Amino acid sequence: MRDAATLIRFEATVLIHLDAAYNLARWLTHDELGAQDALQDACLRAFRFFDSLHGPSPKAWFMAVVRNACMDWLKNQNRRTPEDESDDAHGALAAAHASGAPKTPDSAAARAAEARWVRESIAALPREYREVVVLRELEELSYKEISAIVDVPIGTVMSRLARGRDLLQQKLLGSRTRMKS
Amino acid sequence: MNCTRLAQVLDAYLDSELDRATGEEIAQHLAHCPACTGLRSGRDALKQRLRSQAPYFVAPAALGPAVHRSLTAALDGTARRMRRPSWVQAGALATVAAVVSALAGYWLAQPLPDATLREQVVASHVAALNDVRKLTAITSVDQHVVKPWFQGKIDFAPVVRDLSAEGYALVGARLDHVANRQAVAVVYRVRNHFINLFIWRAAADAPEALAVSSVRGFGVATWAGGGLRFGAASDIDTRELEYFARLVQAQQS
Repeated sequence: MRDAATLIRFEATVLIHLDAAYNLARWLTHDELGAQDALQDACLRAFRFFDSLHGPSPKAWFMAVVRNACMDWLKNQNRRTPEDESDDAHGALAAAHASGAPKTPDSAAARAAEARWVRESIAALPREYREVVVLRELEELSYKEISAIVDVPIGTVMSRLARGRDLLQQKLLGSRTRMKS
Repeated sequence: MNCTRLAQVLDAYLDSELDRATGEEIAQHLAHCPACTGLRSGRDALKQRLRSQAPYFVAPAALGPAVHRSLTAALDGTARRMRRPSWVQAGALATVAAVVSALAGYWLAQPLPDATLREQVVASHVAALNDVRKLTAITSVDQHVVKPWFQGKIDFAPVVRDLSAEGYALVGARLDHVANRQAVAVVYRVRNHFINLFIWRAAADAPEALAVSSVRGFGVATWAGGGLRFGAASDIDTRELEYFARLVQAQQS
């Protein structure tokens, strides 16, 4: 049944997570318009299958739909420009290396540079690590929810998260050590 | 618990994903092992850094309205075989949405004669909550008990609907006044908050669109239709009150 009341219920249970969904889409697609495109698509899909809402939480269910829409968007992009999906992540990594870690943490400009360094370091993570890090660190979702969204066992969520954090720590805290010396 | 094992489960421990017994084992080990405590500090520092500096991308303001439009279109069935809109179309839509919301914002910002009405709705709401024992004259979660109670007491048939599936539990009803007019008050509860839904006869037949605003910290939603005026007041979030009002509206039609 798709009536006005259903739409209201859909908005109240699912669309309240639009910001979270957009954040995930941005981290997955690395593209502002791509994220919006994927999200429009995801909302229509989610509304169509609203009756089949399941899993640990409505948010997790919606985020899974959003993730799938992002994957489809990325696939389409790759068909158009036959390059590796992680190319743009590699680009960000190269840029991060070129700009280097900030040296003086005192000024506002240095703080902005530090924030950019954090952003680029996350962006440079391979997708399977990037998504679990974003879902855990920025969305504070449970392992169970992340497992439902990414569609892997909880043990895999745990190991990917550990590996992703290791990689980030090497980069971010490594840079901090350099700053101190 | 040894260091190898701890390294494997440290993340789950810090994310509060482990059972209590394992958690205690880890805490004990950490208290005596400088190497593992070092691992832990690294994770703490990383977390702190991410919390303070990782960007969170918030959806552009036009996206919500754009999504709402395409869903409404899907509702009408017109979009069943909808092509994906081009970015020119989406841009145009976004522009229209922005203009409409800007106009709506302007319109809402104007002092309305209804301001006093909203004030009265809130006043009646506050007065009713002053004595919870008098909040309802008929107390029942059953709409088929509440609705007949009004018979012979008022000269119109108010809407009393079961919204428990949406999280708004029916508590009961009573007779009340809004702006010196006799009104019925249907009381709903969501979590620990009461909502008073006042219904009274409209002076004119003209329908009036839903308006939601905030008066002294209370949310108030007003609209009119079918010769009746509606005013809902509560201390829940105005956005949630709007959903409530729209649910009542949707059930009316």
